[in-house]
Amino acid sequence: MRFPKPLLLAAAAVAAVSMLAGCSASGGSPDKLKFVNDKSWDFKAFSKVSQDQIDMGLDASTYADQDAFVAFVKQSLRTGKAPALFTWHTGGQLEELVDQGLVAETSSIWKEEIAKGDVAESVKDLYTIDGKQYCTPISVDNWVMYYDKAAYAEYGLQVPTTWQQLMDNAEVLKSHGIAPFWSSGGNPWAFVWFQIILAGSDLQLYKDLAAGKASYTDPGVVDAMNVWLDMEKKGFFSDPGSKTAPETQMKDGKLAMIPFGTWYASTISQVLKEGDDWGAFPIPSITDQGSTPVAIETAPVCATVKSSQKADALKYSQWWMSAKAQTAWSKQQGNLPFNPKSTASTQTFRDIGKEFAEPDKYDFYLRYYEATPTPILTAALDQFTGFMTNPGDPEPYLKGIEQVAKKYWADH
Amino acid sequence: MTSKSSTDYQRGAWAFLGPGAALVVIVLYLPVIYTLVLSFTRYGGLADPVFVGGANYVEMFADPAFLGSLVNTAIWVVGTLIIPVGIGLLIAYLSFGLRWAGILRIPFLIPYALSGVAVGVLFGFVLQNGGALSQALAFFGLPGSDTRWLQESPLNTVVMILAASWQGIGVNALLFTVGLQSIPKEPLEAARIDGASGFTLFRTMVWPLLRPSTTIVVGLSIVNSLKTFDIVQAMTQGGPNRVSETLGVTMYKDTFVNSDYGLGSAVAIFLSVITVAASVIYLRRQLSIGNGSDAGRITAEVSS
Amino acid sequence: MISRVVRTVILAVLGLIWLVPIYLLLANAGKSVADYSGDALWEPGSIGALFANVGEVFTGTDVPSGLAATALYALVAPAIAVVLGAAIGFAVIVLRVKHGFFWFFVIFCGTVFPLQMMVLPWFDVYARIGLFDTQGGMLLIYSVVATPFSAFVMRNFFSGISESVFEAAVVDGAGVWRIFTRIYLPMSASALAVVFILQATWVWNDLLLSLILTQSPETRPVMPLLNALQSVEGGGPGYTVILTAALIVSIPTALLFLFTQRFFQRGLALGQY
Repeated sequence: MRFPKPLLLAAAAVAAVSMLAGCSASGGSPDKLKFVNDKSWDFKAFSKVSQDQIDMGLDASTYADQDAFVAFVKQSLRTGKAPALFTWHTGGQLEELVDQGLVAETSSIWKEEIAKGDVAESVKDLYTIDGKQYCTPISVDNWVMYYDKAAYAEYGLQVPTTWQQLMDNAEVLKSHGIAPFWSSGGNPWAFVWFQIILAGSDLQLYKDLAAGKASYTDPGVVDAMNVWLDMEKKGFFSDPGSKTAPETQMKDGKLAMIPFGTWYASTISQVLKEGDDWGAFPIPSITDQGSTPVAIETAPVCATVKSSQKADALKYSQWWMSAKAQTAWSKQQGNLPFNPKSTASTQTFRDIGKEFAEPDKYDFYLRYYEATPTPILTAALDQFTGFMTNPGDPEPYLKGIEQVAKKYWADH
Repeated sequence: MTSKSSTDYQRGAWAFLGPGAALVVIVLYLPVIYTLVLSFTRYGGLADPVFVGGANYVEMFADPAFLGSLVNTAIWVVGTLIIPVGIGLLIAYLSFGLRWAGILRIPFLIPYALSGVAVGVLFGFVLQNGGALSQALAFFGLPGSDTRWLQESPLNTVVMILAASWQGIGVNALLFTVGLQSIPKEPLEAARIDGASGFTLFRTMVWPLLRPSTTIVVGLSIVNSLKTFDIVQAMTQGGPNRVSETLGVTMYKDTFVNSDYGLGSAVAIFLSVITVAASVIYLRRQLSIGNGSDAGRITAEVSS
Repeated sequence: MISRVVRTVILAVLGLIWLVPIYLLLANAGKSVADYSGDALWEPGSIGALFANVGEVFTGTDVPSGLAATALYALVAPAIAVVLGAAIGFAVIVLRVKHGFFWFFVIFCGTVFPLQMMVLPWFDVYARIGLFDTQGGMLLIYSVVATPFSAFVMRNFFSGISESVFEAAVVDGAGVWRIFTRIYLPMSASALAVVFILQATWVWNDLLLSLILTQSPETRPVMPLLNALQSVEGGGPGYTVILTAALIVSIPTALLFLFTQRFFQRGLALGQY
């Protein structure tokens, strides 16, 4: 009998093609830094700026699915296929990489940049692990309240400076059938109101909770949840079961205020005009805490220890912090540059930036998403989503989080 | 005759079976072994895995949400057996032999052609609170416009099954169509002469002869529904508060969101064991019957 | 059986219901981001806005650059899988390989394990042997993942073909390879077609494998590029542009279904009743 050689050949061809293609794998252009990220930001445009200024560019690949991105980066660091630069998150996720010695130290860069006045000490703290710095910021975003200027004007509302004024405004908006505040369930945004209310009530408790020094069933946490519950009962929130983007809801005249980081400016500006349609104000504290707590988040860019492009990667990281680069970045992103020598591209953020720069008036804290260890965060997002879907006695929800937190802190 | 074909071609048979089998075993089975090993360790994706025995399995069964996940997965299996398989067969049967069959089937196939992003956006439109479905109900003055389709359990699982059916029915219809095509003429002719028609003809002749296709559709439906992940992740992320979670979502959450690879692997192994068991039970019965009897085989004219 | 007219009418009505959600997608892809409203999802968009969005997809996003790689994967990998699967089915059913059910079951079980758990080990191995971020690597993985389904369908299809077909061919002096290629494959054109188009669609729409196993513009297909347009922290084009892009990349698979329908028109035995 004849042997079906073509079939074997077909199988062999698959293997051969694979191997051949493997050899000719493109590693990106040599003059560009291999850069993987989890952001839909226009790194291509930014790469042109850096090409002009320092003759270095980025060869960027985006993995917008965050979970897959994290898994991919970890695995690529393990297998030594890591890119020169990658975006990451501060907090526990960064610590994990540092523990394994996978990211390049940036202490000397930070020393120079702080000396030059390019970046604030408070930002450095977010990048410090055991006294040394790792990674550098692409951007630092403060959390503010975006508001609908049309709705505020129509009902004669003033930008609030106290929590009470904010609640009064909410009352008025609600009475006219507008949802005062945006809220959304699920991962990632279910934590937003818990963060605002707890930090606004007792920032120290918020920090203790994140560090495992306080419990989710502590009276202070229960009180904060009851503030939230009260607001839920008054109908102050948009429907957490709506998948319509908040800026669209605001444009439709259904929603008046959205708490988000300054990165949100580029998104909301696709629908509403900065200055004319929307403004932003610092979220007031609930209790008098001396200074007003402001949540911050930061997008770090990290250099891989083992990459052959490590030196260039660090050089690029440092340039990214410079006034020139931050001005260009802010212009492109419409956000607030962290470098005080850079100028924000919009009047709204120039004003906010000036306000936040006032000494001792604001106390910046790391937002809940990075401050809380992942397993606790996951449980908390689930429970908060349950709470906002069916608002009621907060204790069972808090107990559910505490159960996970207790187990986590016992091991860590 | 039978003994001839079953012994004489073993070497040739291996040349046909070998390449595919080897690739499948190497590429698809090695990750399973890797995952099996990981399921006995604690591993966060970075530091080397630490052996912890059966701790992950204990933890998995101790999780109060695991039972809910198991129940939801069972609802998915039953739901997708009834709706997409049933309606898929109906569409294939109704369209079969019609002049415009190809065109008539297209609307059912287009949803399958859609990219995941489009499907995610679409069901967001339709099923969110106050979304397209609610807007339509309100427009026609029908009740239910304020129903929270995705937020109440088990309603959210049911509507997601319907959404998945919308997308998957065309595939089943296509597989049944191929099955109907391979049904031989003669037995049907004979049955018709005996006076069978309509539903009787379908029940006594078509349905039994359709067994190879039914086996494919049902077998794949069982396997795929047990693995249900994409649509739940896109619609509810298993929420609110885990009430619509399936085993696939639990596995993904443990592994990718919490970076608890050991626990996620344990769920994956558990899921696979159930799936293999279900497949063995179903396929053994179905395929052995198919193998044993020659009834209904095509005595097609061999033209060379 | 119910009359042809009634059947046609039932199917046409059902089909129209099935297309209603597609209308929603088109209506909202035909709106600018500023015009899109969550309260007026049923309102039609305009052709002008749709074209503007299409233009934005082609000029403002990377999505079109992945079309060539996607087409390569979606055409070649399913073809390989169809051949491998048919060969497996042939060996198990026609040539009656020893322990056929066992081997068939081993291959079938390749579909059982969730892909999400396979992708990291694959990445690890691919990175080590140089297949990471290569077109060959993607073709290999897509072909193999599609093989069990292909084997399942082909095995069951062959089981419906009488043994006498094989015996007659043997009497005529044909070898097994010739019997396979000249008799069995042509007889199963519709089954081969269904496997091919379903797997091509799957490959075309795959996000997970291509997201993790490719990186550079030459290897990345459209789905990860489309996915990259929407991250939680802003950036990227407007919502309706993303929606338009998602629809545009679905056109080739929809056309594939349209043009392969003729394969399913044959075999009219049942249709006569």
